[in-house]
Parts: sequence; structure tokens; C-alpha cells
Amino acid sequence: MRKSILLFSLSVVLAAGGVSSCKDVIEGPESSAGGTSDLDRKALLTQWADTLVIPAYKGFGSKLTALKGQTTAFTAAPTASGLQALRQSWREAYVEWQRVEAFEFGPAASVSLANRFNIYPTDAAGIRQNIASGSYNLELATAVPQQGFPALDFLLNGIAADDNAIVQSYVAAPNQRRYLSDVVNTMDQLLTSVQAQWNGPYRATFISGTGTSAGGSLSLLVNAYARYYEQALRSGKVGIPAGVMTGAAAPNKMEAYYHRGALPLQLAQVAHTTVQRLFSGRAGQPSLKSYVDALGAKDSRTGEPLSQLINAQFDVSARQLASLGPDLHTTLQTRPAAAVLSYNEMQKAVRLLKVDMTSAMSVSITYIDNDGD
Amino acid sequence: MLSSYRKSYIPAAPLAVFRIAFGVLILASVVRFWAKGWIAELYLQPRFFFPYYGLEFIRPLGPYTYGLFALCGVCALLVALGWHYRVAAAGLFISFTYIELMDKSTYLNHYYFVSLAALLLVLLPAGGYFSLDARRQPERAHTHVPRWTLDALRLLVGIVYFYAGLAKLNSDWLLAAQPLRIWLPAKNDLPLVGFLFSYPITAFVFSWFGAFYDLTVPFFLLNRITRPYAYAAVVVFHVLTAILFPIGMFPYVMIVAALVFFPPEWHERLLERVRRVLGRPLAAGRAVVPLVYRPRVQRTLLAGLGLFFVVQLLVPFRYALYPRELFWTEEGYRFSWRVMLMEKMGQVQFKVVDSATGRARLVNNAEHLSVLQEKMMATQADMILQFAHYLRDYYARQGVHQPQIYADTYVSLNGRLGKAYIDPTVDLARQSESFAPKPWILPFDDEITGL
Repeated sequence: MRKSILLFSLSVVLAAGGVSSCKDVIEGPESSAGGTSDLDRKALLTQWADTLVIPAYKGFGSKLTALKGQTTAFTAAPTASGLQALRQSWREAYVEWQRVEAFEFGPAASVSLANRFNIYPTDAAGIRQNIASGSYNLELATAVPQQGFPALDFLLNGIAADDNAIVQSYVAAPNQRRYLSDVVNTMDQLLTSVQAQWNGPYRATFISGTGTSAGGSLSLLVNAYARYYEQALRSGKVGIPAGVMTGAAAPNKMEAYYHRGALPLQLAQVAHTTVQRLFSGRAGQPSLKSYVDALGAKDSRTGEPLSQLINAQFDVSARQLASLGPDLHTTLQTRPAAAVLSYNEMQKAVRLLKVDMTSAMSVSITYIDNDGD
Repeated sequence: MLSSYRKSYIPAAPLAVFRIAFGVLILASVVRFWAKGWIAELYLQPRFFFPYYGLEFIRPLGPYTYGLFALCGVCALLVALGWHYRVAAAGLFISFTYIELMDKSTYLNHYYFVSLAALLLVLLPAGGYFSLDARRQPERAHTHVPRWTLDALRLLVGIVYFYAGLAKLNSDWLLAAQPLRIWLPAKNDLPLVGFLFSYPITAFVFSWFGAFYDLTVPFFLLNRITRPYAYAAVVVFHVLTAILFPIGMFPYVMIVAALVFFPPEWHERLLERVRRVLGRPLAAGRAVVPLVYRPRVQRTLLAGLGLFFVVQLLVPFRYALYPRELFWTEEGYRFSWRVMLMEKMGQVQFKVVDSATGRARLVNNAEHLSVLQEKMMATQADMILQFAHYLRDYYARQGVHQPQIYADTYVSLNGRLGKAYIDPTVDLARQSESFAPKPWILPFDDEITGL
């Protein structure tokens, strides 16, 4: 750094003149597409609320309502065809859940929606105990792994040896029917409260919170987004079952473990696609991508825009994820190394999001004083 | 000339004003820190802390940490009141410095400034005028003090500004307007002026003005003609930084500290006004009572101050003893008035390998560190090493045989795309901390020219 002080002084003098004639400095943000409006966080937040968050919750809400209807029908009269229909609606709702799971900020964060809906592996023993005793409180912290989609996975796919036995277990046990209904109803209530917030006062709070300190909406959103990709998707859906944390593959820790088949990978892929879509948004509309572009974030060595690097890495990790099919459970048992590779590609994307993108946007993760790293 | 300087006297008012304002500000800082719940969040909840090299015995005291902060606040109040001044100033210096040194992740330059100013206050005769001590023991009170006592404070404040200015004379700050070019657009939602921050030219203007300001403001504050404008600039500059950046009490500390450059008569008038408000008898027309040190005491004090300032002038340049880029390695970065110079962000994934079985596992940092600690650790090699040693001991207790610790790191600096920071093939469990350059920090592969 101190090698060339003379050279440096010279370049400072030259730059003093040069700065004022430098094109991108005078003409504003470096985005080729637009002007400073691309750095309008209110427009970005409005776009997120109105075209990404609220419609996605609406879409998921209708699937959850269908699941609730099938649950009511099945618990009223458990039959094999009723189980098939219920399972189908559970699968559809679970897939749709992947499109909203990343929105863990604001109303969803205040009720810990992702924890209540999708903590796995589920606590099968605890669920059996709850059913046997008939006394449980799904609001308790200990009950978090005894509810949500993973609990339904166990209740619909794993509670007895085959479909016939599963139906019979519901016929025989009123407590089990009640537990199934309670799990679904709790999910419905939680989502209804979150949707009510977004359709009501929170939307205005969200889009007016244009600051970038730890409580600003962009900080909440970006931190939740990056954390989702890192923890729920990279670690939860792939890394932990692949054994990257412990050194030994653990297929029983995968999502939709009792159902298996094509569903677990489908869930992960929908989640990954959602993350990609949330980044790029709609063409011509404000998005994380357009914001990063407007900031001029790029690899200073090659000039390649950061958004392009992120999208390229997303594509690579999506391809690697797709290669884990068709049955993730089998893949984890027969070739876990492929899953570790998938994790590694996602980790590269995590860094682009958590380090490069977050840094370029200058969003904070803590309120504590800081005088410049 | 030097001997006449040593014999020249000035009114004691500037020292008294500084003492009061400083005490009140530190008290306010302690109350603010406490009220925000940061004592628990930063010093009670984490399982692990990052002590300074050689000062590992300085650690949070568990629940007694509250007592430490209370002691610090009480000492600050006593300093402001000038009651048992010398003991209170020593207590303030020790308690504040101890707090500052408990965990590296909370390092702030202004804490360092507070520690140094508190140390000066222990040595300087700031408690003998406009103080409770002076009222209780009139025989030990004085109205005038040697000129060098005020100049010591001026020199400290001047060094802070001037060195902060020198640190800005680098290519990232001046030629790329980094990191302001990243930070300012994030504030473009401010009323009235916010829209300006979307334009890179604004970051250039701020960078150049900031460097010029830091380098020159002590001199403009000393000059009678430029002083009012310079102080207006001080207020505007620091209020602006307070609005733009999460730097806590720093702006207010500097706004108050800059008052030492005002002439003693100005401070005298200020205190007269305070006396009028308090209904105390005015000082005008009172006998002049100079504080006359015994020659040996004065020589010792001056020698001590001389040593203090030699250290102050040299320590910020210790980075020159390290071969590689300062901003990247941060070897010799702290305690050097390098303020707001870097937007640095990183991520570290630690791998723990059992030496007997070869089995590898990954670490979830958040299970061991607070959000702030993890953020700070991820970009600073000495903290990465400290945490690696903690992990080594932690996993050894968990039954891992001679754990090897590898760090997969990724760090971005001032808008450059992130890159690997620590050699991922080096077992950090076997590396030890020292003041020597750390060879396992990977090259920066870029150049930042300047000081």
C-alpha cells in the first residue's frame, strides 16, 4: 500500500481533474437500463408486497383451504379414497408452501411461520404421545416439531405400515382424527393471521420502511432471503440430509421423508426456482436484480455485473440440484457425494448473496454501533 | 522560548469545561448502552469473547459486568462534578478501558479516544476549578493552570483528526470514492438531500471534503479568524455523519472535544453564564491563583506526556512494519484513527476434522457467536484464529481426537467481488497468535495505493 506514494500523489492530482470529466460520475448511477429511479427502495418494496408476497400467500392460502376441506371430509369418514385425496391436497399445499417460505420477515417472522409450518425431521414419537394422551398444546415451543407439513407427512404417510392400515388407524382412533384436524386448523389460523397483516396494516408499514438500518424493510427482506437460501434450502433440504455438517449422510432428516418418491426433490426445486424468481422479479419492474444493477455492483476485475454472477450461479446450482433426482432418498443412500456437490454449488450462491449483494446494498444486520468495519 | 512556554499560564476554565462535558457524555453513553440492552447482548449472552492479544485476562465479569458499567457511569458523573476528581478520573479510565478491551468485536475508535482522553484527565489538573473539590477545599483550588495542560488535550484531538485525514489519503477513498459510494445510496431516502446520494459524484465530493476536513480542521480551529467557520463545519459534519451512519456517540464526542480549541476566555465566559444560571457568585474580579507545580512534578508530568504523544504519533504507523495490504490483513489497523474507511463483509465456514478418523464436520458459527461477533470475526484474521482455537478446544471436549480446524472464507472489500481470505489448507488449530505477519492470509490480488 505504501510502495508507490509518489505515483499515488501523481494519480491523485490527475484524478482531481479527471473525476469531473468522468462520464459515469456525472451522469448518475451506472445502470445502463435506467436512472436513479432504479434505486427507489419504495418502488422495490411496493413491487415485492404487491406482486410477490401478497399474491403468493393468496395462492398458498387457497391450497391450504383445499387441504382443510379434504381433512374435514377424511376425518368425518376415513376411507382409502379419502386418504388419496387428502394426500394429493397435502402435496399440492406443500409445493405451494415453497413459494412463500422465504418471506420470513414482518408478520411471518412475528409468528415464526416457517418454524410452525416446516420443521423437520418431525417428532414422530411426540406426535404418537400427543395422540395417545389427547392432551397437547401446539403453541408450545416443544410442540414445534409436532406440527406443520412434516407432522402431516408422518400422519398421512408414516403412521402405519400401508394405506389400509393408515385408514384403519384413523377409523379406530378419534384422538388421531382430532390431532390431524388440529394440526391443519392451526396452520390455517396462522396463515390467516399473516395474510390479514399483509392485506391490512403491514403492507403500508413495509413499503414506507425504506431505511437500510437493521429494521428497514430492505434489510429485513434481504436478510430473510439470504438466510432462507442458506439455512432452509442449502442446509435444510440438501446439506443436513447429505451429512455435510456431521460427516455422515442422514436421509431420515430430509423433507417429506415419509412420503419420499419424487416429492422431496420437487419441493427443493420449487424452493430454488422461487429464490431465483424473487431475485429477478418481473422484467422491467423493480427487483433485487435491478437494484443491484443500479448500484453498479460488479466484479471489478472482469466488469461482469454481480446480478449476472448471481444468476449464473443459481443456474449451476439448480442443475446440480436437478441431478439428484428422481428420488432424493435413494440418491442420499447411493450417491451422497452428488448431494454434497449440490450443497457446494449452493454455498457459492450463498456467498454472492450474503457477502457481495448484502455489502453492495449496505443493509445492516445489527443495530450496534459501528464505525466502519 | 521553551522555558517561557513552560512558565506561561492560562485560565483553568477550558479544562473545567472539557472535564464537565466529557463526564456528562460518558455518563450518557453508559446509560444509552445499558438502556439498549447491549450489556446483556454483548457481554453476558455470548459464550465466547475475543480478547486482545496479551490481554486475555480482560473478560466480561458475568452479572458483575453491570456493576462495572455502573462504576464507569458513577466515575463519569464524579468527573463531571469534580468531586474526588483524581480518584474518579482514574476509576473512569480503568473501568472504561477494561470495558473496551473485553471483546474485540465491539472495537470503536471513539472508545479508544475516550480511554486516551480519560488517561490525560488523570494527569491534568482539571479538577481544581469550577468543581466540588474546589469548593470543599478552597486552599487546593486554582484559577490558572500551565498552558501545556490545555495544549495536551488540543494535541490529542488534533492527532485524532489529522491521522483520520491521513488514513483517507488512499486510492479507494479518493479515486474510487469507496466506501461512501456504497454507503450513500443506501441513505437516498433521507428527506430533502437524499436524492443526491444516488449519484456517485456525491460520494466523490464527500470523500474529498472529508479528507480535507480531517487534515485541516484542527488548524482552522486554532486560528481566530477561521474558528467560527471551522466549528460550524465541525457541527455540520458530525451531525451529518450521525444521521448517515450508525456510529453512536462518536459525533457528539467530537463536537464537544473540538471546543478545546476555543480560547480560554471563551470558556471563562461560558462558565460565567453557567454561574449566573445557577445563581452562584461570579468569578470576575477574583484573585488569580495559579497552579504552580513543583519543578520535579512538572518535569515528570511533561516527560510522561511527551512519552504518551510519541507513542500516539508512532502507533498508527505500525502497519508499515507489515508487508501486505493493510485493509486486507488488518495487521496494525486498530488504534490508528482509521474511521469509516472500509465496507468489508465476509463469511466463514469452519471445518473440524478428527485426526484419528479423518471424519469432517462443519460448524454452525451462530451456535457459538452473536450476530455482531460473527460479522466482525468473518473479516479479521486474528479473530478467525481466536475462534478456531475456541473450536479446537470445544470439539476436543466433545470427543474429537486432536481436532484440525480449517476455514473456508470469503471476504469482499470496498465493492470488490469477494474472494478467499484464509488459506483453506492450513490447520488453524496449529497456528498461534503473535504480532508477526500471518502467512496463512491469502494475497489480496489488488493494490490500494496511498498512506
